[in-house]
Amino acid sequence: MASIQVRINGEMRAMEVDPQMPLLWAIRDFAGLTGTKFGCGIGQCGACTVHLDGVAVKSCTLPVSVVQGKSITTIEGLSADHSHPLQQAWIEEQVPQCGYCQSGQIMTAAALLKKNPHPSDKEVSNAMSGVYCRCGTYPRIRKAITKAITLSKS
Amino acid sequence: MKKINRREFIQLSALASGGLLVIGVAPSEGGEQKIVNLSANGGQSLNQFISIGADNHVILYNHRPEMGQGTFESMPMILAEELEVDINNVEIRPSEANESLYGSQMVVGSRSVQSEFMILRKMGAAARTMLVAAAAQKWSVPETECAAKAGMVVHESGMQVTYGELVEVASKMKAPENPKLKDPKSFTIIGRSTRRQDIPVKTNGKAIFGIDVKVPGMKYACIEHCPVWLGKIGSYDKNAALKVSGVTHVEVTQRTVWGRKVDAVAVLGDNYWSAMQGKKALNIQWDANGLDGISSATIMSQFREEAKKPGEILHSVGDAESVFQKGGTLVEASYELPYQAHVPMEPMNVVVNMTENAAEFWGSTQHPNGVRTFLSTKYGIPRENVRINYTFMGGGFGRRSMTDVVEEAADLSLKVNAPVKLIWPREEDQTQGPFRNCSLNVCRAVLNGDGSIEALEHKIVTQEINNQTGDNNKAGRQIMGGVTTEYQIPNMTVRGVLQKLHIPISYWRAVYHSTNPFAHESFIDELSVKAGKDPLEFRMSMMQNHERYNRLLNETMRITNWKSGKKPGTGRGVALVERSGAHFVMVVEVQKKEGMIRPVKVTTVIDVGTCVNPDTVKAQVEGSVIMGLGAVYAGLTVNNGRITEQNFDRYPILKFNQCPEIETHILESTGAPDGAGEAGLPTIAPAFANAIFDLTGRRIRRLPMTQEDLKA
Repeated sequence: MASIQVRINGEMRAMEVDPQMPLLWAIRDFAGLTGTKFGCGIGQCGACTVHLDGVAVKSCTLPVSVVQGKSITTIEGLSADHSHPLQQAWIEEQVPQCGYCQSGQIMTAAALLKKNPHPSDKEVSNAMSGVYCRCGTYPRIRKAITKAITLSKS
Repeated sequence: MKKINRREFIQLSALASGGLLVIGVAPSEGGEQKIVNLSANGGQSLNQFISIGADNHVILYNHRPEMGQGTFESMPMILAEELEVDINNVEIRPSEANESLYGSQMVVGSRSVQSEFMILRKMGAAARTMLVAAAAQKWSVPETECAAKAGMVVHESGMQVTYGELVEVASKMKAPENPKLKDPKSFTIIGRSTRRQDIPVKTNGKAIFGIDVKVPGMKYACIEHCPVWLGKIGSYDKNAALKVSGVTHVEVTQRTVWGRKVDAVAVLGDNYWSAMQGKKALNIQWDANGLDGISSATIMSQFREEAKKPGEILHSVGDAESVFQKGGTLVEASYELPYQAHVPMEPMNVVVNMTENAAEFWGSTQHPNGVRTFLSTKYGIPRENVRINYTFMGGGFGRRSMTDVVEEAADLSLKVNAPVKLIWPREEDQTQGPFRNCSLNVCRAVLNGDGSIEALEHKIVTQEINNQTGDNNKAGRQIMGGVTTEYQIPNMTVRGVLQKLHIPISYWRAVYHSTNPFAHESFIDELSVKAGKDPLEFRMSMMQNHERYNRLLNETMRITNWKSGKKPGTGRGVALVERSGAHFVMVVEVQKKEGMIRPVKVTTVIDVGTCVNPDTVKAQVEGSVIMGLGAVYAGLTVNNGRITEQNFDRYPILKFNQCPEIETHILESTGAPDGAGEAGLPTIAPAFANAIFDLTGRRIRRLPMTQEDLKA
């Protein structure tokens, strides 16, 4: 067991956890933030995507000790009131069906747009192909990302 | 489960309620449902559908669990249409789970809109009728001079009053037995794309799924089953697991899958990571129980051998057998499909708390009342002592209609005397099943000189969901789902050869429609080629007398500019299917890209009867096409009695960059609503395979398609 200090959504937290525990379970079971989801446990499906110092990472395979002293943003910290252009676009394009993977989708898209505000179709495809959706919301995700880019401009 | 045969309205009570009008459905003897005014008990009754407060706050209840299919919005839309309220200005809440009050709440087979359409309309109309009567009484005018509109009753003189101001009077009225329904021509909500109220909470992490539930004193459980089905527990290191920090218990548990008991070992702890680590430390040695000789290859060779049997006749028109005996231009082809896993993105999980003579369940379920029945029956608990709290589901696709995971968690809860949250790791979800069946489909036909089909036989060799154990070895009609019988073919036979294996199968999105149409619609395509006919015109020639398909095929021809020919470098394939009443015709365009053949555009023309929320229907078509395309590219393989593809790295569902453009056209219809959530899945595989043939002359008869199949 170790005491891990990590800033989650701007708030400093200390957690007494196994340092090998993946960040996902620290976020869900210890910080009590359940918007970040467990999908596969092998870093494959992207349902667990959060931002580590602004970069999208798959939290299900990242030991919590690695994030000691760093800053994490989860879906709950993206915006409190759906005001992020991606959240607005997600609602306008009616993207989610079951909704389970959507935190991972939105966090992945948010990291992409932060780094690259005007990605090409191919860059969007490359970034988004690491997040799986069994309901098949991909066509709407593409539309929503395009819309969010427009919303950000205005 | 109680069958709801008839529903009618009755008066329950006419007592005042303090300004709240509550309309719902109440049970009566014989399990029938009756619409009632529930205002007397202050709206606290469990079965409310509509609640209007004196403050004009309207709450509509959705009684069909939401798994992505959109019932959270579509059920209340139907109520709101007849109630005459603005759907965007009401609060939507999930209802309680209680089948004696709500009827079936099971969400399977694209049934919800189909089965609930009329009762919800009647309930909305009953409330509207009472509010109009209350306004007429208030103004002392005839009801015929009043009309309901946007949450108000308006008199022809221009006087108007809000529903809120009328509820005190309306709440004392008897619910009408036969309220007048709106003319569908005047619908303002049904048939218009409406934004779903469950979507905002699915963009900010606030939506609660089963896996997010936390109850006081809860233990987290991780589990391991024998990778070989029906294998036995050999040895395991309980102490090693208990040494892991946070682990509190190691317990053996069991679930029942279609009557067969399946053993498992669970590790419980104070958090899920501890339980997962404990599971690894168990080092379980499984006893395969002599069942590790089976593989996909042995199964398929068994099926091929079995295909020589005549099997049972499941459908017959004319006398196909005599035509085959006479001879003629015979065409034969066989098609193979693999097992598939459901893999909803939310892994299987439940929370169960078993206490003295009571049980409580929290979680993602397609069948909340099935969970109640299971817990009540197995543990001898009165039904009213079983509390069911259903949440949003992170996908279902049929897997969440079962109670096997509930059984394991209930057993563990009793053993550790605490609420238990059991989460299956993805590997268990993918390797344990029950799976979508694998199948061999053997088709043959005789063509006439003019290219028309004189006789067609489709033989299905597969397992049957409803008959997996026991001595009855006759195939039932269930397995012929998705075989198109609407074509005008003078002599047609569908045969089934039932296979019994210890590998469990279950309902998977579209069920047998997810296998048979790949064979049937590919074979129809093969016949069109042999006959030298255009595949779309060939189908039209056999659907002249089928009003819905005829219209769809004509519209497809127009929408896709079929007659103007395909673009250079493009292949086109067509397929059609009916599922849950919905009729679909799909055209897939393929092109060679980066050395591979890829689907670039999927155009679907659909007739789903009356469409409640068109945008949701389109989303369902997109989703079912994508899930179906995933099943074209990937399948499960059995090796040494176990599934090879344990996680997403070996069993990739369709990815973002593999997704074609998907265009959906919903034809106008005033017919009764059909179920639109599945028919896109059966159509994509044959339409895609037919398009590949059109481009390359290569006929693919086995799924999943291989890299070789898809090479440009």
